[in-house]
Amino acid sequence: MSVLEARNCSIRFGGVQAARDVSIAIGEWEIVGIIGPNGAGKTTTFNMITGFYTPDAGTIWYRGQDVTGLGVHERTALGMGRTFQNVGLVKGSTVRENLLTAQHLKADYGVLAGMLGAPRTFVEERTLGRRAEALVEILRLGDLLDTQVAGLPYGVLKRVEVATVLATDPDVLLLDEPSSGMGPEEAHRLGDTLLDLRREFGLSIAMIEHHVPLVVRVCDYVYCLNFGQMLAEGKPEEVRNHPEVVTAYMGEDAEDPAVQALEGQLESLVED
Amino acid sequence: MAVTAQEPGAAEPDVVTVEDERADRTFAPSPLGWVARGAVWVAIAYVVLVLPLSFEGFEVQQFSQAVIYGIIGLSLNVLLGYVGQISLGHQAFVGIGAFASAYMVSVQNQPFHVAVLVAMAVGAGQALVLGGVSLRIRGLYFALVTLAYGLVAEQNVFQIEELTGGGQGQPAPKPGGFESDWRYYYLCLAFLAVVLWIDWRMLKTKGGRALLALRENPRVAATFGINVRLLNLFAFVVSGAFAGLGGALLAHNDTFVSPEVWNFNLALVFVIMTVVGGLRSRVGVVIGSAFFALLGYFIDKFTFLEDLLANIPGTPDLTAELAPLVIGPLLLLLTLTTFPGGIGQQIRPIQGWLRGGRFDLSDRGPKEVQISDVRA
Repeated sequence: MSVLEARNCSIRFGGVQAARDVSIAIGEWEIVGIIGPNGAGKTTTFNMITGFYTPDAGTIWYRGQDVTGLGVHERTALGMGRTFQNVGLVKGSTVRENLLTAQHLKADYGVLAGMLGAPRTFVEERTLGRRAEALVEILRLGDLLDTQVAGLPYGVLKRVEVATVLATDPDVLLLDEPSSGMGPEEAHRLGDTLLDLRREFGLSIAMIEHHVPLVVRVCDYVYCLNFGQMLAEGKPEEVRNHPEVVTAYMGEDAEDPAVQALEGQLESLVED
Repeated sequence: MAVTAQEPGAAEPDVVTVEDERADRTFAPSPLGWVARGAVWVAIAYVVLVLPLSFEGFEVQQFSQAVIYGIIGLSLNVLLGYVGQISLGHQAFVGIGAFASAYMVSVQNQPFHVAVLVAMAVGAGQALVLGGVSLRIRGLYFALVTLAYGLVAEQNVFQIEELTGGGQGQPAPKPGGFESDWRYYYLCLAFLAVVLWIDWRMLKTKGGRALLALRENPRVAATFGINVRLLNLFAFVVSGAFAGLGGALLAHNDTFVSPEVWNFNLALVFVIMTVVGGLRSRVGVVIGSAFFALLGYFIDKFTFLEDLLANIPGTPDLTAELAPLVIGPLLLLLTLTTFPGGIGQQIRPIQGWLRGGRFDLSDRGPKEVQISDVRA
């Protein structure tokens, strides 16, 4: 049984059919890649899965439960954790505050008890603080605990974001372009991090990713979207060589020598 | 647990260090430093606790009002500072709280503590209804809803004869044991302390953190598992309860509530005193609120201020009552353009020093961040 599944989801914004009949399944311990050109509906699909959008048709299933009607925070409570394309962090707060905020559902007291200063909340706050420190240790951000998020370099922000998502204690990670703003080397290390996270935390992962070598290296299964529709799916190698995928990425004139040169570069990157 | 495995090719480790601006966290003041800090603490305690005793009854009432304005300022701070929504109808929350308390004591013959609780419940209830309907909209539109609510309350709620005694107003005697003005002053201080405690604990626990997160970025807050709408509403209810408390205390401070004072001018003063005090700065808000509460009193007391006001060109009939509405906007302008942190930002070095740190003039507090939602 899949951990997370989108079944035949469609959504329309005015005249734009942003997703049509999209089905995606993320199995236990699987790393699933979602690729496609800009505007293909990848993030839209994520938004339907995590509850920011309600699909016009289709359903979202989490471990056999229909969650289509649930709000974003309720899905987080079930175990979905997601990151955003342009970094989902509270930028005015410090790294520590972000990690504490992300443990909102882990804090074992009511909002009212916290306000009135019930003794238990002091104890619980210390526990949350220790968890934050442990997470920062894991993602090797130790020195940054009390630094304001705004002003940190982009690549670091991406890692802080992963730490905060882990703080929500997810079963499934949904990562929206985790390697954006990273060089090939950093992206390679990100791949290691993802594989390690899966091993350490028993996570299933779905990621939207443009960096093809990363997708090929870590993903067990890949979906390719184009114009809101599923173009191809399968093992990474199959999808990458799928003629329609090549056309979608490279345009109609894939015969063009310049395009072929580009393709060659891609190939060599993968082989590295 | 080394999760990020090192590649042989990747020479530089990806551990990030930034230079810490306040490098020596271990700073400890010398014994003389502690004496100096202690002296300032004692001076502050003297001004707040002892000095008011040497004044006449009427003046002590003014100081009580300053303390109560502190509570009202903190109430607005919850909404403006933490939720990021502006209320232009807060005078209605305060006024209805005042009348509720006066009505409970004078008409229903209930004891003071019951009246205060009722006033808080009424404030919270109003916020629950108004917020439940309107908190889905943000910014200017929410401000308009609250503005309309304030005007509606002025025309309707404050005209209910049973509640407000018609045009004559409702008597609100001081509670037993606190009949003298200075005793009542201490009672107000105690209430302010409780509100400060609640506000402090709120920000130190999950509720306040969640509020700050959703003010800046509701989508991210939701992915953290925060029920955005519920928490927004909760904060509005807290703000309403504080406002009701402030209203009740105001009523019994004047021992009389008149329906005329709860107008839009007052709502503006409330907003201005909170912003000038400094959003999200507890001490700043209290100082700013007290300043505006005492502004008229100071102008009356010190005649040179009155002369000064009279000399402002184009404002021939500027009375002490209207002064906050002239001085307020000027200070507001100064806050918005030059000191976004208000008084709270200005006193940060002093606060840090009093807590046993260095006197650090460069301490400007957390950098204000442009609020921008994530793309999703």
